[in-house]
Amino acid sequence: MKSIILSSVVAALLVFSGCSTTEPAVDTKANTDMGQTHEVEAVDTETVTSEDSMVNSSDNGSNKMSMADIENSISPIYFAFDKFSIDATNQEKISAAAKIGKEVASDYSVKLEGNCDEWGSDEYNFALGLKRADAVKKSLVAEGIDAKRISMVSYGESNPVCNDKTQACWAKNRRVDFKLLP
Amino acid sequence: MKIIFSLFMLFGLLFANDATIEVIKKADSLPSVAVEDSTQSYDDTFKLKFFKSLIADLNVLSIFNVDRFHRYNDYEANSVLVDNKDSKYVIRYLLSQTDSDGLYVSMKLINNDEEVFSKNYKVSRKNIYMFVTHAIAYDINNFMGEPSVEWMKRKVMFSRIIGTKKSEIVISDYTLSYQHVVIKGGFNVFPKWANKKQTAFYYTALDAHRPTLKYVNIKTLKIKNIISSDGMMICSDVSDNGDKLLLTMARNGQPDIYSYNVNSKKYKRETTYGGIDVNAQFLNDNKIVFISSRLGYPNVFSKDLKTKEVEQVVYYGRSNSACSANGDYIVYKARESSNAFSNNTFNLHLISTKTDFIRRLTATGINEFPRFSRDGDAILFIKNYKTQSSLGIIRLNYNKNYLFPLKYGKIQSLDW
Repeated sequence: MKSIILSSVVAALLVFSGCSTTEPAVDTKANTDMGQTHEVEAVDTETVTSEDSMVNSSDNGSNKMSMADIENSISPIYFAFDKFSIDATNQEKISAAAKIGKEVASDYSVKLEGNCDEWGSDEYNFALGLKRADAVKKSLVAEGIDAKRISMVSYGESNPVCNDKTQACWAKNRRVDFKLLP
Repeated sequence: MKIIFSLFMLFGLLFANDATIEVIKKADSLPSVAVEDSTQSYDDTFKLKFFKSLIADLNVLSIFNVDRFHRYNDYEANSVLVDNKDSKYVIRYLLSQTDSDGLYVSMKLINNDEEVFSKNYKVSRKNIYMFVTHAIAYDINNFMGEPSVEWMKRKVMFSRIIGTKKSEIVISDYTLSYQHVVIKGGFNVFPKWANKKQTAFYYTALDAHRPTLKYVNIKTLKIKNIISSDGMMICSDVSDNGDKLLLTMARNGQPDIYSYNVNSKKYKRETTYGGIDVNAQFLNDNKIVFISSRLGYPNVFSKDLKTKEVEQVVYYGRSNSACSANGDYIVYKARESSNAFSNNTFNLHLISTKTDFIRRLTATGINEFPRFSRDGDAILFIKNYKTQSSLGIIRLNYNKNYLFPLKYGKIQSLDW
């Protein structure tokens, strides 16, 4: 009797030890997590790094562009036929130019280019262009720009912005241009 | 009464010897001239070019009725061609090639089948053949006893605008058939011969940091800076001996006339008016004429450099903005209309400092930048008509104008 009981216990033990009791490795935790997923916020596409690289690229390049931009924002001054006096509208433009000269363009000098319409390439016309540039210079100095920052040249009729034989075109050519110099 | 009246007329006519009076010669009273070509070498194109250049020069002389037909005859022929029998004069020439591509020209003037004048010419390159025809015309003019046309042989210099703020300085003959660009690139204006021999010249460079007057030696091609001025810097005139210059400078934006001594390199301010004073020309060593706006509009004035006395010279017109002087005569440019809304016309007028006469020299278009020849026989000027720019010559004694058009660009200023 005893021996039968003993041998059946041993057999049972053997049987039970042989059977694997581990179940397939299913991560119960993961299961529960997936069930609980919430929407993840989309990642911001801000390219912070590329902005940095722009700042690092040559400073000269960005400065030249801005000098040209400033130059383009200054309006030429226009004059009546055969005259070098400045009227009220153009006086306002000079005030605006002087403001730019004292603020944004304070590091630059300016060259005033005097021009005429097409009536005559002789010295008198060149002198008229110069008197126009000089009238603008005196106005700028009166508005507080240092005279040493201003130089002048006259191109007479040799630097036209248009070539039509019309009143409108001649009026556009009777002008003083501002050219900034570093 | 009739006798007294006709005596008065006679005396009046006797004193009519003034360039400001118009002289009109009728074509049929001029002697005729025909040209015979005896050339054996060279191709037809070159022979025709030479012939046309000679015919044009003979026309400009204004002393002949010129036969334009290109006829050939043997150089040693005893008589002229049958077609030319009725011509008072016949010019016969022979072109031949020298070694090294030079051109040799023999020329003879025939009157009544007899040779009355002959001369030979030689140039180192055949492409400057036009200077030979100018020399032939000059010599024949001299032989005929007419007033000198020395200017025909001289070189003209002009600046040509080829684009916005772009120009080139060109040396040419008076017909523009020879052109040589001597300064290329940049913006260079107001060229001026530095001496009678035309071996050097001045010009203004506007591309430099400040307008600068430069000096060029044509032989060595060396360029030298003379003087700079902010705003404006132009050489208006050079004294006869080349030692003194009249400059227009604009120190502090104020355009004024300065005299400059080439040897001492010192300059002296000659005008002090606060407006515009420009375009000074020597009348003699101590007197100048110039353009000033001191009356509120541009006009011609004279100034004695020693006594500083200023005198108004022209009492006509409301805008006289360019001038040139020679002896007792002054030519100036007058605007015919001061209306900003009309098509402007600029004409050249001639006045004498000794009389009240005034003579208009041109009729239409934009005529500007007059320059007297050294001998006072002719005036060079720029004519712009619509889009065509031309070089003009006025023969004062014959009341004739000639125009030589530019193929491209616009003439800005000139000198000869």
